[in-house]
Amino acid sequence: MVLDVSVLEELADAVGGDRPFVVDLVETFIADGEQQLTEIATALAAGDAAAVVRPAHTLKSSSATVGAPALAAAARAIELAGRAGNLEAVAGDAEMRVLRETWDDATRELRAWVAGETA
Amino acid sequence: MSGTALVVDDSVVNRRVLVRHLEGLGLATLEAEHGAQALDLLHAAPDRFDLVLLDVEMPELDGYETLAAMKADAAIRHLPVIMVSGVEELDSVVRCIELGATDYLTKPITPRILEARVNASLAAKHLHDLEVAHLERLQALTSTIERQKTELSRFLSPQVATLISSDDGEELLAGHRRLITVVFCDLRGFTSFAEGADPEELLGVLGEYHRLLGEAIIEHGGTLEHFAGDGVMVFFNDPVLQDDHVARAVRMAVAIRERFAPLAAGWRKRGYELGFGAGIATGYATLGRIGFEGRHDYGAIGNVVIMASRLSSKAEANQILLSQRAHAMVEDLVEVEPVGELTLKGMSRPVPASNVVSAS
Repeated sequence: MVLDVSVLEELADAVGGDRPFVVDLVETFIADGEQQLTEIATALAAGDAAAVVRPAHTLKSSSATVGAPALAAAARAIELAGRAGNLEAVAGDAEMRVLRETWDDATRELRAWVAGETA
Repeated sequence: MSGTALVVDDSVVNRRVLVRHLEGLGLATLEAEHGAQALDLLHAAPDRFDLVLLDVEMPELDGYETLAAMKADAAIRHLPVIMVSGVEELDSVVRCIELGATDYLTKPITPRILEARVNASLAAKHLHDLEVAHLERLQALTSTIERQKTELSRFLSPQVATLISSDDGEELLAGHRRLITVVFCDLRGFTSFAEGADPEELLGVLGEYHRLLGEAIIEHGGTLEHFAGDGVMVFFNDPVLQDDHVARAVRMAVAIRERFAPLAAGWRKRGYELGFGAGIATGYATLGRIGFEGRHDYGAIGNVVIMASRLSSKAEANQILLSQRAHAMVEDLVEVEPVGELTLKGMSRPVPASNVVSAS
């Protein structure tokens, strides 16, 4: 699933229906996630397995919070590959391509959700 | 709810969610991106925080390692730590709880569960703070008492100083009867010496004499009742019980007499003729706090005190006069020479006594 809107709804409920907070959080996620994606790409280009782990891990946990399970799974795959020092699989582009695609999908739906909220 | 929580999570998104919830509960918050930063903040101001919310899985220093570092540091080990984890990380949570984490939360955060866990942790922290404050007061009190004891032991006999802070101290101070041996000693020729000597010379001689007495009293475990110029009264078997109280008294007096001789020889060269004399008696006395509100001494009252005092007055230089009763209790240990029956001031009948020649 690209975006599980129920996660965002639950979050909104949990903060007492403060939807602008959730909107703000999603925007933070997108801005922050761009940075992690760049860091992952840089680390891969440098063949630095250890440097992949931190941004991949952060992206994984943030995306779970905003209800993007597919993205979380893709980031987790990269984190695990990085931890295992097995960069070939990732650098071989398959996983990185999956990550980029899931990122694009997730952020597109998140932006749409934000647009719906702020309309 | 009040207090300050440190939120440690590598994801800014997750931190913001937690901070939002905690602020909703009335807590102030600080954030750290990873374990090392959290430890820096905690070390910089350990008293600033009341609670730590720690993500289990973090790159670099993870939750487990951060917790381990906290528990190894006495300044922050008491802070309650709530582990925050995904459902798939429960094994790590168990390890953290074994290591001393207070509680755990799973993501996504449920506000009511968060509130309950935070409440419980803060209550535990509050209790711990009270305990620490209490312990600090107790330590301050104990050190005050120790200091007082040290000071008291300078003014009082060490036995009495100890007695005052002992469990049965109050009972003993209130007054009790006991068989004791009393030693009085003073200096022959002191009055005329005091009239003629410079005050500095007088204090110097008294100082040497008192030092000699003090050492002997401590060596033999006597209780010093009072000093009065050249006169001194010491008793044995109270407040500390001593089976051999008469022997101790006699040995102390003999020791003082022996050590007095070289002192007296030195004084003689300076023109002072001073001699040591003592009286020893054994009998029942009433002991305890004597005096008035504001100034009490630990003292002994009874015929035995008067008897020892009179014997001391009667003693010539180098004589240690022993009452008959005291002598009877240490016959095997001391060699005496009879001095016959003495007529003592205030005593209706003459009193048999002997002079101690030596003691073993």
